[in-house]
Amino acid sequence: MKFDLKQTSLPSSTATAVAAGLLALSLATAAAAAAGPKVPRSADGKPDFSGIWQTTSAADYDLEPHSARKDAPPGPGVVEGNAIPYLPKALAQKQKNFETRETADPRLKGWSLSVPRQVYYPEPFQILQRPRDVTIVSQFGYSVRTIHTNGTNHPTGDTHEFWLGDSRGHWEGDTLVVDVTDFNDETWLDRAGNYHSDALHVVERWQFLDANTIEYKATVEDPKVFSRPWNLDVILYRHREKNFQLIEDYRYTVDWEPYYPPKP
Amino acid sequence: MNQHASTRYRLRPLAVFSLLALAALPAAAQQPPATGGDPSQAPNGAGGGIAREKSFPQIAAGKWSGPRLADGQPDVQGHWSNTISNHSNFTDPQGGIVNDPNPRMRATGPRAERAPSRISDPPDGLVPFQPWAAEKVKDFQANFNNPTKPEYIEPLARCAPAGVPKSFYWHGYEIRQYPGYVLILFNSGYRLIHLDGKPHLAENIKLWNADSRGHWEGNTLVVDVTNNNGKALFGRSGEFASENAHIEERYIFSPDNKRYNYVATITDPAVYTRPFTVTIPARRWTDDEKPNGWHYETEVNTTGKKPIVERYERICFENNIGFGQVASGGKK
Repeated sequence: MKFDLKQTSLPSSTATAVAAGLLALSLATAAAAAAGPKVPRSADGKPDFSGIWQTTSAADYDLEPHSARKDAPPGPGVVEGNAIPYLPKALAQKQKNFETRETADPRLKGWSLSVPRQVYYPEPFQILQRPRDVTIVSQFGYSVRTIHTNGTNHPTGDTHEFWLGDSRGHWEGDTLVVDVTDFNDETWLDRAGNYHSDALHVVERWQFLDANTIEYKATVEDPKVFSRPWNLDVILYRHREKNFQLIEDYRYTVDWEPYYPPKP
Repeated sequence: MNQHASTRYRLRPLAVFSLLALAALPAAAQQPPATGGDPSQAPNGAGGGIAREKSFPQIAAGKWSGPRLADGQPDVQGHWSNTISNHSNFTDPQGGIVNDPNPRMRATGPRAERAPSRISDPPDGLVPFQPWAAEKVKDFQANFNNPTKPEYIEPLARCAPAGVPKSFYWHGYEIRQYPGYVLILFNSGYRLIHLDGKPHLAENIKLWNADSRGHWEGNTLVVDVTNNNGKALFGRSGEFASENAHIEERYIFSPDNKRYNYVATITDPAVYTRPFTVTIPARRWTDDEKPNGWHYETEVNTTGKKPIVERYERICFENNIGFGQVASGGKK
């Protein structure tokens, strides 16, 4: 902080006291800024993301900036540079997805959302953290994602096409950096038909902004679909309502579950 | 192509038994993706040999002197599975599917030579159904092998979550623990047991995997289970609970942390004439045992010098098409 003390009309002793106070305050502020926000930490000193989180952004309706539609609220977009850099042929596919989104969005079948969509889907998810892994349980769907933080690499051997990808994370300071590969091509990135191929590669960065807020950044790369990697950025808020918990949300059983159990 | 299709396991046939505890699905059924030959479907019941335990040790509830987590919970994390058969037959687990049209799949030999009923109380090993419910079960058993109505399809065949308690006798599973939670990752679905003392969900919310509130008493995880939708059924023999069922579970762990017995009392005055108790034995799988595609459905990561066992995603529904159709082979 800079104050021009010459502008004041304080007596000199008070001015000295004020100057000393300002100096102490600015040193303390600098120290606090260097240390970062006070956040929950595990016994191993790493930030502990355990808790139930959800974005308030409109990202899942459409990652790109968009005005209101019949089926979506408006959103300023979460993509750095606004437009997702599609290859020309891929852009045509995206348009086709968009036009058929009311029936073609895999989420309508209750399919697993994959990465990164599961992070900004408008339902809560729970993070459960141990030193060896970070487990993400989404309320929507039934699949559980494991981010391995035990120094292991992606599996070798057979080609893997996981619905959720394979997630391997490591810490860079207080940021959890996660490398996600080995995807299939069955899921979308949002409700607007933004999509990917099995060459998808996502690098996530999870970092506390404060104890109840996480900034989530993802670099999305897919040489079959996009002309270059691109970045998205959303903020996640901790659910703090009393007794809040996830409630199972399986859509794929809805059509036939009325037949069970037998009734008198 | 998904990971399940690319995994190959060698089956080890058992010489001892000719009967089939782990019978195949009827021809019309659509089964969840098997890992290149589901060991539970093999004649003579493969699956590492433990699928055919005929008896199991009782484990006394008491103190825990094994490892603990920082929050004081007994540390029982790891990979576990049941030791007696699957969900084909609730009261005669190694007896095969009721009315199985394939004679090779039917149980032979005296009942006493097979594992006991999953029902440990009442002593007759039968679910104490009210007459209307017993009729429904008979009806299910009469139609299971040729389902002409949706209610005769066992919901696990549609990739429904296996529910309570069926999840414990369908494939191996993993237990993970955290302050305030025990997370169990099953082949079909998961359960998150809350240890935080918060209340159950509102009564009108009914879930496939119910709502679980638990606490530890020495070596026993005691769990109160409500908000069950009753839809998962108990298995292919059609026994069931309603959406009013209240289940009190006790997971009693042995002192050497290698086994536990799941002992659960089910109360449901709309369906049964009295509460009854289900007992399911389980055993732990360790790093030096080989994954076997059913009881120990894990993979080995070879990044470092020491191989690390890990569990891949469980995806079922997305990989299957409408019930009653048959998948054709070949890669995409």
